[in-house]
Amino acid sequence: MNEVLLEIKDLHAGIEGKEILKGVNLTIRRGEIHAVMGPNGAGKSTLSAVLAGKPSYTVTSGSVTFAGKDLLAMSPEERAWAGLFLSFQYPVEIPGVSFTAFMKAALAAKRKAAGLPELSPAEFLRLLKEKMAFVQMKPEFIKREVGVGFSGGEKKRAEVFQMAMLEPVLSILDETDSGLDVDALRIVAEGVMNLHTEQTSAIVITHYQRLLDYIVPDVVHVLKDGVIVRTAGRELVAQIEEKGYEGIL
Amino acid sequence: MKSVYIIGRDTLPQSISLGEGEQLSLTIVYASALEGAPAEADIPLTVSLDGRGASLDIAGLYICKGESRLRLKVDVRHNACGCTSRQLFKGLVADQAKAVFDGLVYVAHGAQKTSAAQESHAILLSAGAVAENRPQLEIYADDVECSHGATCGQLNDDELFYMRSRGIPEDEARRLQILSFLSPVLSRLPEDLAESIMK
Ligand SMILES: Nc1ncnc2c1ncn2[C@@H]1O[C@H](COP(=O)(O)OP(=O)(O)O)[C@@H](O)[C@H]1O
Ligand SMILES: [Mg+2]
Repeated sequence: MNEVLLEIKDLHAGIEGKEILKGVNLTIRRGEIHAVMGPNGAGKSTLSAVLAGKPSYTVTSGSVTFAGKDLLAMSPEERAWAGLFLSFQYPVEIPGVSFTAFMKAALAAKRKAAGLPELSPAEFLRLLKEKMAFVQMKPEFIKREVGVGFSGGEKKRAEVFQMAMLEPVLSILDETDSGLDVDALRIVAEGVMNLHTEQTSAIVITHYQRLLDYIVPDVVHVLKDGVIVRTAGRELVAQIEEKGYEGIL
Repeated sequence: MKSVYIIGRDTLPQSISLGEGEQLSLTIVYASALEGAPAEADIPLTVSLDGRGASLDIAGLYICKGESRLRLKVDVRHNACGCTSRQLFKGLVADQAKAVFDGLVYVAHGAQKTSAAQESHAILLSAGAVAENRPQLEIYADDVECSHGATCGQLNDDELFYMRSRGIPEDEARRLQILSFLSPVLSRLPEDLAESIMK
C-alpha cells in the first residue's frame, strides 16, 4: 500500500457559529481517488473549503495531516504550495485582474516556494498554451479577466486548466461536472485522469455517476449531515444512482 | 491646462469654465504618502460647462493613509445645452485616515440634452478608516441623461481566498485587487507616477 497523503481525524468545523462538519474521518493514500457523494447541504463544500483553508470557516476540533504536515496550521497559500488544489463549485470572478496575470502570480509563487527559478515569459507562455490545449480552452480566454464573461462550463474548464498548470498532489474537485455538457465533461474528466499519477490523489465530489464513469474512484463515501455515513468500493456509485441516498443507508 | 494635478505639487484652479465645444480632460491625484502631500487637504473644484456642446472628463484617485484627511468637493455645473460630463473617483482609505467626496451635478433650467455621469468608489483598508460619499444631483431641465454610482466597501474576501488558494500570497493578492480597483484611473497617469503611488 502507498503512504498516506491525507488523514482527517474527527474533524468538526462550521461557519458563523453553526457546526456543519460533525466528526469527519477520512484517510487517503497516494494514488487513490475518493468520491464524496451526498445530498445537498450535507457539508461537502464545507469540507472542501476547510481543507483549502477558507478563513470564514472555523475548525473547532479534530486534525488534518497532509503529506506529514499539520494542514490546519497552514495558510491557504502554503497549502497550495504543498500541492493542494481545490476546483471550486462556484469559481470566483475577479474583475480587473487578467487571467494571465493571475496565473503568472500563482505559478511564480509556487515555484518560489519550491526553490525553483521563475519561468521566462516565453517559457510561461509555452506552458500556458500547452495546458490550455490540454483542456481544449479557447486561447482568447487567457486575455480575459478571471472568470468574467465565462459561461458555467467555461469556468469549470478553467478550473481544470489551473489544476493542470499547478500540478497538485491532492486535487479536490467540488462538483466540477455541474454545468458541463457531455463533451465538456469528457474533456474535463480525461484532463483530470491524465494528470493523475501513482503519487497524486483526488477527492471527487459529485452527485452523478456519469463523471465517475471517467474518473473511476477507488473508494466512495457518502457524507450526510456532516458525517461520513457510508464508505464502500466503486460499486456503491451504481447503487446510489439506482436507489438514491435514502435507499443505501 | 495640465491634465494631471498632484495635490501638494500642483495648484489646481478652484473654478474652470468651458466654452462652446471646449473639451477638458483632467485627473486629480492625492496620495498622502507622496512627498509634498499635505496631511490635510480640502479640495474644492467647480467646473462650469458654459458653452454649448462642451465636454468634461474628470477622474480622481486618492490614497489616504495614517491620519490624513481629504475632502474633495467637486461641482459640475451644466449651464448650456448638449454638454457632457464624466466623473470617476476611486480611493483607498487606510489606517485612521478619512476621505470625503462631495460631488454635485447641477443641470440648469434649459440645459437640455445634458449627459452627466458620476461615479465615486472607495475601499476601506482598515477598521479605523472612514470614507464618505455624498453624491448629489440637482436637475432643473427635463431632457437629461444623468447617472451616478457611489460605493464604499472592503476588498472582496471571496476573491482574496480564491487567489490565495492558488498560491498567491495574501499581500500580493491584495495588491492585485487594489490594482484592478484603481486601474481605470491609474491608467490615465504617467507610468512613473502610477508606480510611485502604488509603492
Ligand atoms: N455562510 C454560511 N453560513 C451559514 N450556513 C452555511 C453557510 N454556507 C453553508 N452553510 C450551510 O452549511 C450546510 C452545508 O453546506 P455545503 O457545505 O455547501 O453543502 P453541500 O456542498 O454538501 O451541498 C448547509 O446547511 C448550508 O446551508
Ligand atoms: Mg456543495
